[in-house]
Amino acid sequence: MQFQNQKISETAELLQQRFELLENKADILKAVELRSLYAEIPTLPPEERGSFGKEINLLKQELEALVASHQEQAEALPSIDVTAPFDINVPADKRPRLLTSDNGTKHPLMVELERVLDIFYRMGFTAVESRQIDDDYHMFGALNFPEGHPARDDYDTFMTEEGLIAPAHTSTMQNRILKQHAGNLEKGEPIAAVIPGRVFRNEDLDARHEHTFHQVEGVYVDKGIHAGNLIATLKTFLQEYYSDVLGDKQLEVKTQPFYFPFTEPSFEFALSCPFCDKAGCNVCSYSGWIELLGCGMIHPNVLREGGIDPEVYTGFAWGFGIERLVMMKYGIEDIRHFESAKLDFLRQFK
Amino acid sequence: MKISVNTIRDLNQQYGSAGDPAPEGVDKLVEKIGAQLGAVEEVIEIGKKYDGVVIAKVVSCEQHPNADRLHVCTIDDGGITPDVNRDENGLVQVVCGAPNVRAGVTVAWLPPGATVPSTYDSDPFVLEARELRGVVSNGMLASPKELAIGDSHEGLLLIDEDVEPGTMFADKYNLHGDTIIDMENKMFTHRPDCFGWLGVAREIAGIQGNSYKSPEWYRVDATVPAATSQELRVDVRNEIPELVPRFMALPIAGITVSPSPVWLQIELSKVGIRPINNIVDLTNYYMVLTGQPLHAYDYDKVLVQDEGADHATIVVRKPQAGERLELLNGKEIEPRSEAILIASVTKAIGLGGVMGGANTEVDANTKNIILECATFDMYSIRRTSMAHGLFSDAVTRFTKGQSPLQNKAVLAKITEDILAICNGQIAGEVIDDNHLSDEVMARNSLYPDVTVSADFVNARLGLKLSVEDMAQLLINAEFAVRIESENLTIRAPFWRTDIEIPEDIVEEIGRLYGFDKLPLELPKRTNKPASKDRPLESKAMIRDALSRAGANEVLTYSFVHGNLLDKVGQDASVAFKLSNALSPDLQYYRLSLTPNLLDKIHGNIKAGYDEVALFEIGKVHGKTEMDEGLPREMGRVGFVLAATPKVSEQKYAGAPYYQALKYLQQLLPGDEQLYTFRPLQDASFEGHVLFEQMTKPFEPNRSALVFSGSMLIGVVGEYRPAVQKALKLPKFCAGFELFLSYFEKAETAHEPYIPLPRFPKVTQDITLKVAAECTYQEVHNTMWELLGRREAEALLVTLAPLDIYQRPDDTAHKQITLRLTVASYERTLTDTEVGTLLDAAATAAHEQLGAERL
Repeated sequence: MQFQNQKISETAELLQQRFELLENKADILKAVELRSLYAEIPTLPPEERGSFGKEINLLKQELEALVASHQEQAEALPSIDVTAPFDINVPADKRPRLLTSDNGTKHPLMVELERVLDIFYRMGFTAVESRQIDDDYHMFGALNFPEGHPARDDYDTFMTEEGLIAPAHTSTMQNRILKQHAGNLEKGEPIAAVIPGRVFRNEDLDARHEHTFHQVEGVYVDKGIHAGNLIATLKTFLQEYYSDVLGDKQLEVKTQPFYFPFTEPSFEFALSCPFCDKAGCNVCSYSGWIELLGCGMIHPNVLREGGIDPEVYTGFAWGFGIERLVMMKYGIEDIRHFESAKLDFLRQFK
Repeated sequence: MKISVNTIRDLNQQYGSAGDPAPEGVDKLVEKIGAQLGAVEEVIEIGKKYDGVVIAKVVSCEQHPNADRLHVCTIDDGGITPDVNRDENGLVQVVCGAPNVRAGVTVAWLPPGATVPSTYDSDPFVLEARELRGVVSNGMLASPKELAIGDSHEGLLLIDEDVEPGTMFADKYNLHGDTIIDMENKMFTHRPDCFGWLGVAREIAGIQGNSYKSPEWYRVDATVPAATSQELRVDVRNEIPELVPRFMALPIAGITVSPSPVWLQIELSKVGIRPINNIVDLTNYYMVLTGQPLHAYDYDKVLVQDEGADHATIVVRKPQAGERLELLNGKEIEPRSEAILIASVTKAIGLGGVMGGANTEVDANTKNIILECATFDMYSIRRTSMAHGLFSDAVTRFTKGQSPLQNKAVLAKITEDILAICNGQIAGEVIDDNHLSDEVMARNSLYPDVTVSADFVNARLGLKLSVEDMAQLLINAEFAVRIESENLTIRAPFWRTDIEIPEDIVEEIGRLYGFDKLPLELPKRTNKPASKDRPLESKAMIRDALSRAGANEVLTYSFVHGNLLDKVGQDASVAFKLSNALSPDLQYYRLSLTPNLLDKIHGNIKAGYDEVALFEIGKVHGKTEMDEGLPREMGRVGFVLAATPKVSEQKYAGAPYYQALKYLQQLLPGDEQLYTFRPLQDASFEGHVLFEQMTKPFEPNRSALVFSGSMLIGVVGEYRPAVQKALKLPKFCAGFELFLSYFEKAETAHEPYIPLPRFPKVTQDITLKVAAECTYQEVHNTMWELLGRREAEALLVTLAPLDIYQRPDDTAHKQITLRLTVASYERTLTDTEVGTLLDAAATAAHEQLGAERL
């Protein structure tokens, strides 16, 4: 480093020489010379103070960098033989070994997701994971959301500087699924797929709101598919999903008309609370019903955009959140625990 | 969207539209609305608030003896209130502090025992007879605010009609037993008509199987009353008909601005709209009635905007650069360039469809007004509203796309009421700047007729309705339907903006019929098994393997703060940056999983966990990896273990690297010999930017690249001292990060099976002394070359590490002890035979590696 000011330049040279000799290298930052340079600033004519001060700061930064790089070198551990199964001179009883499996856990969301997928596999659905970064076309355009449509306001999406989108729903995969499996229809087989994945909403966090959560999308297309098939499919899934709570009892379901641009008709779907048999409990906020998901018949424009003739084929789609299922199941009080990586939380789910 | 059940009932009756909206009670109605119209957010029993409020007449009003601002009144309640002290004339004494109290006025009295309506929902205040400065007051006389009608509390609510004293307030104003039903707006995104009470009343009738008839005045060919003078001239110049397809305006002269009639104030207050004055209240009333927002400009204020003008000019245009506008809410904005601006010749006077301007506001002195009833482009309104953060009832409605076919009916009807309530006269011809096509105007419907077959509808609903059933459902909601054999040809009523395609009719029929009545049957399917998704399956496999090995699966955010990237030495410029995150913690898409895992170690150790093994399966992204314009999604599995000094000293010796390696080998499928480890310090990344970023937290001389054959599959190792320090990691800390794609390949799924030899194994150990730099792998491979792969001789050979030792006095060398186990499939081997094998191997090791057998 070249310093304009001669005094600083001389001090720099002096301190660099001293650095080599110092036992405790960090002491260089406490050098008297450095302090006296700072002390000199107020004695200078005002117009010189700025540039003088700047140079002292530069010198200080340079010394700090020296100390840091030295520390890195000093702390660097010796190389090891990365091809060996254990280190040199390690007695047999102190060699690497796994923790006992009673410490191990899978994430409760993933356990639940596997369970959900298992039921849908058995119901004849294949699965594919959703994307975590996508474009406007898949998130909105292919789903019959015109540019500037107010329905877009319901999705507080994260955007990247390039204009890419962190998907706010797993429906971002619908167009791909339709295109990918369109061949099924020609073979006389349905398109039946579930799409789990992470989705994102640009929201502030609290005990009930996460900006990152997980959804399972479902898509089913074939000839002659109607809205009753949709409701029956979801009901059947839920009856199985809650089979251990329900036993022989039959779940009730109900729908409320809703609006999504990508389905018509659209519904909000609720099930009778399996935990209290509609009597009212904490889980269902004493209403007897749990509003679980949005669903509907796939809009003809969405089918068409996926290369499927809506005159010939019809289909349905839904999306629900995994967090909600898990929170209800265990009575989890705060959604933020899921992404906290706290062992206090995770190790409860053996 | 809020409606009052009493109001709907009243409107249905007044206009002969339909019967009682809640013939089976409000609960049943709410249930029906939920099932067939949309989610109900809240049901408020507003009528209860007014139980006990009595309309009374102030008979006398005297100065309070002990307080300047109070009056002592006697009131006549028709003698209906029980248990209250009365004077000899049967009148009740009430002390009142309102400035407008005087003998002769009719007011709302809250007798002892009544609850103040405005406190009903929060902290109910029950009145009693008590002394005020020495004079007993039996309850109180109420202000609008206390009655929860607007927020004026400067004076009493004065009843403006002739009402018999003793009439219950709730009976007079149709509040008795009234319920407000608040429906979710989202359901009505495509239903602008349902942002008006008439629209909701129509739906309520329709879903109950009753037919609805709109009020006579609500018709597309309504007539605005003729002008009685031409004293106010208004010119309208619409420069942006593509954004403003219809702009109607009407000048009205000689109005009196005053508070609205009490009934009107109550109607608005019930649904949460604050009464302001009769003109503003009427525009709001017709907005909530029909969904059509209206605006009134003070004519004279418009006129003075343009110096020397002899008539008002309204220009509908886009704003000019730098133009500013002060809005009714006091906020001054520079309208965005794409906004719809309402202006005089020279000045902005309103933000079209969003909010009026302060400079032309109707106030108590306003005499002449221009009424505007216009249609604005929903997309433009939405963008303007978002850009300026302005949300009004008009915005809520215009952003759903109000039908431009209803403007005339609404303008005609409100004009009638303005003349009746605010006086005034029509002082110029109505202006109707109408850019709708002749076709639409001739059809009285926004879209061409839709024809559907009964089969089309039934197939999509799973029903077997007849064309007649379908037609009746639609006719109930005022659709025009023509039946031709099995086809229905449908013309939507003029207020519907959402009926364009056959599926729209399916939705309509399904909803009016009741989705709750659809047959529940599963789709028919074959018994062909659904194929499982390999990436998801491989994740499940990893999850099983690592959790079985005592590790804990975590999930962490896909987004990271720039500080974390800095701490681990990753290059933020490669990461996708979020441009709009509310939380400052979310800046970049993560480049690898390891930083997040490292970030979670310290907290868990502090929470009391001495030994921690975390793993995550997730995706990473980077700007350098694109596929057809989209970032490639790269699956990874990351693993980190850490132990406090206490535990690591007790349990382990040597570098933590080997502990991570142990986990890695537990996880990797197939034979251990498939995998090789090459020092990270020798790595060259040659443009593999994201892979390089993945290795950034790792210490180059204590980490390795992991290969399966020649395929690179990840990195394993310890972390750089700077990373350890920055993330407060214990010294005993190591981990790995691998590409998920490797696990998705089928051929790695299982280890080959080895048949069991029938003859006994022979075991012999060999110790080789080699140079310290010589790697274990070199020694092992050299020995294996010679000893392994003896299938031709029908031998099964294994070679396992037993010890690696370095004498303290000879750090130039190390000693590696391997255990050879040999079994034959054909015969019993002798020790000598195995010894011979080892001798040969030792000789080769000596020649190739300079190894000395000990």
